[in-house]
Amino acid sequence: MLLLEYDAKAMMAERGIRVPRGVLVRAAADVPADFPLPLMIKAQVPVGGRGRAGGVLEVADATALTPAVQRMTSATIKGHRVRECLAEEMVAGHECFIGFALDHASGNVDVLLSESGGIDVEARNSDIVAERTDFDPVACRDAAMRLAARTREPLRAAFSDIAPRLAEMFFSLEAVLLEINPLFVRPDGSWIAGDAKLVVDDNALARQPALAALIRSRADAYPEVVGKLASGFDFAVLDAEGDVGLVTTGAGLTMQLIDELIARGCRPFNFCDIRTGEFRGDPARLIRVFETMAASPSIRAVLINFFAGITHLGEVSRLIVSALEAVPRLVLPITARLIGNGYDEAVAVLGAMPVPLVVEPDLERALDRVTAAAGRKRP
Amino acid sequence: MNDGFARLSPCDELLLMPDVKVLVQGINGRAGRSHTRLMRAYGTRIVAGVSRSGGSVDGIPVYNTCAEAVAATAALVSVVMVSPFAVADAVEEAVAAGIKLIVTVAEGMPVADAVRTLKRVKAAGARWIGASTPGLAIPGRLKLGFLPDVALAPGRLGVMSKSGTLSYEICYRLVSRGLGQSLWVGVGGDPVKGTRFCELLPVFAADPNTAALVVIGEIGGSEEEELAVAIRSTPCQKPVFAIVAGRTAREGLMMGHAGALVHGTNGSFESKCAALAAAGARVFARIQDLVDAIASDSQCSR
Repeated sequence: MLLLEYDAKAMMAERGIRVPRGVLVRAAADVPADFPLPLMIKAQVPVGGRGRAGGVLEVADATALTPAVQRMTSATIKGHRVRECLAEEMVAGHECFIGFALDHASGNVDVLLSESGGIDVEARNSDIVAERTDFDPVACRDAAMRLAARTREPLRAAFSDIAPRLAEMFFSLEAVLLEINPLFVRPDGSWIAGDAKLVVDDNALARQPALAALIRSRADAYPEVVGKLASGFDFAVLDAEGDVGLVTTGAGLTMQLIDELIARGCRPFNFCDIRTGEFRGDPARLIRVFETMAASPSIRAVLINFFAGITHLGEVSRLIVSALEAVPRLVLPITARLIGNGYDEAVAVLGAMPVPLVVEPDLERALDRVTAAAGRKRP
Repeated sequence: MNDGFARLSPCDELLLMPDVKVLVQGINGRAGRSHTRLMRAYGTRIVAGVSRSGGSVDGIPVYNTCAEAVAATAALVSVVMVSPFAVADAVEEAVAAGIKLIVTVAEGMPVADAVRTLKRVKAAGARWIGASTPGLAIPGRLKLGFLPDVALAPGRLGVMSKSGTLSYEICYRLVSRGLGQSLWVGVGGDPVKGTRFCELLPVFAADPNTAALVVIGEIGGSEEEELAVAIRSTPCQKPVFAIVAGRTAREGLMMGHAGALVHGTNGSFESKCAALAAAGARVFARIQDLVDAIASDSQCSR
C-alpha cells in the first residue's frame, strides 16, 4: 500500500529525515494562524504525478488560503476524491532525487540517485545513476554512498547524509518503494524532503506495530486496509454513486467482473474478495457487506458470485439466508451466481427466501440480469 | 520425450511428472488434513507428511522434519500448508532436505520473506510456485494445492494464471466446451513470487501434451511484459491466448492482490496488452471472447 505523503513524512521525521513543517487540513481554518506564508496546499491522494494533475497549489498570502483549500477539497485527482490536504511550508533549494525500489522479478533493490529532480525526473533517465543491489540494508547503504560519491558538491554531502537514514527506513519498515522527489539541497549541503513516496507491504503489518498503529489511527484515509485488518477480507468502494453492489470472492475474478460490468454500461459500487473458504459457518462477512449495500441508496442491483472450489454451496446458501435475515433493510434484486458442490441444495434454500433473489449458474446471463436490474441496457 | 523436454532443468521436469512423490508440510493443520485427503483422492502420490505432531494422517506417515520424511520416502515435491509467516522457514526446511519443487498456498506472506525465500530456492536449484497460489495440476493425474475439480479436465491447453478464481472461471467454461488442460499452474498474485510467467514458457513449450497456451494475467507488475519478451526470443510454435484483468482499475486503489497495484503507467492494462499482442498472442478483454476464440481454434482441440 502507498502511504499518503503526510504519513510518509511523519515516519521520516521520526527517523531524523528533515521534512517541511506541515499540517493536515480539511478547511482553511485548520491552518494555524502563525503558519508561515507562502505555503503549499497538497492533495493527499494515493497517486503519482499529483502536481501535474492539479493536486498542488501555491498560496502566496492569507487571502488566497480559503479559496485554495476549498478548491482542493472539492477536487477529484485521478479518480480519487480529495478528503484532506497537507498545508506545508514552502521550501527551496536545488531539486534532486533519491530512491530505493524493490525489483519484483529479481528480488534485488534498485538504488537510484539523480542530481536533478522534480516532475519529470523519471522521464529523464539520463540524469539518474543507479545500482541494483542485494536485498540487504548494508549493501543498499553502501551502494547509495558509492552513487553519492559520483555526484558534485554540495549534493554529495547531502546524499551521503540522507542515504544511510533512508536505507535503514526502507528495511525497518519493510518498504517496497521509498523515494524523495524532490529532495531540496541548499548551497551549504543541508537538505529537506520536498515530497515522500513510501509503499509498504500490507502483508507485513502484523509485525510492523508502528505502521499498523499509524494506519489504524487514520481509518478515514485508508478504509480498505483498515477494513481488511478488522474483517479479514478485501472490500473497496470504487464508485460511491455506483449502481451494482458486488458480493464476490476472488481478487482477479472480481476485477474482471468489474471490467465486464463497466463494458455493459454499469457502474460497479465496490470491489470485494469475501473469501467463502474462510466463512467457517459465520455469516459476519456477508452481513458486513450487505449492510454497506443497504446503506448505499444508489445501488440498484446486487451480484453474488461464488465459484466454490471446496466450500459446499448448501452451507454457503444458508449463510446468505442468515445474513439477509440480519439485514432486512436490503430489499434490492439479487442475482446469485453459484458454482460448486451442492448447487441444487443452494437453489432450494435460496428459493425459499422472501426476497427477490434469483440463482443463476451462468455468469454471462448473471451479468446481463444484473445489468438489466440496474436499469442499464446492454450496449 | 522430445528435445525440448530434455533441455529443462531437473526441477522443471518435475512439473511434467504426474507420478512424482509428494510430501505435505503442515499436514496436521485444518487445511493440511482436508487438502491432503482431496489431493490424494485426485491421484496425487502423497507419501509423507511433516508436522511436529508425528503419527499419521489417513495412513500417511507424518515425520517431525522434512529431512526425515525425505530420507524415508525419497519425496521430491512438497506442498506447504502453513500460515503465511511460517512459509519462509518451511520452504527453507524443504530446500535443505533436498526437495526440488515446492508449492505454497498461504495468502499473505510478507514480501521480505518472499525475497529471501526466492534467493534460497534459486541457489538450491529448486522451483517454488507461490507464495499465494491455488497450486498446479496435471488434470486427471496430479493435483498440488486445491484447484477445483469442476474446472479440471485432461486436455491440450497449458494454463498459467496470476489469479485463482479467474482461472477457475475460464477453465470451467473451457471444460464445458470440451477443452481441458495439459498442465495448469497458478503463479499467484504476489509482487515477489517463486515462479513468474516467463519461467513457465520453456515448460509449456517442451511439454508434448500442450498444444496452446492460455495466459491469465492482471494489472500490476511486469510479468506479462516479461512473458512477451520471452515469447519473442524463444519461438514456440504453440498459439498463445491471453486475458488481462483490471482494465478499469484506478491508480492507487488496492484490489485484493498486492501485486495488482498500478503506479503511474507501470503495470498498466494497456502496456500488458500491447506487449502480448506484439509478441503474437491473441489478447482478449472479455472472458466469453477468450473462450470462444480458444474453442474455435483447431490447434487447441487436436
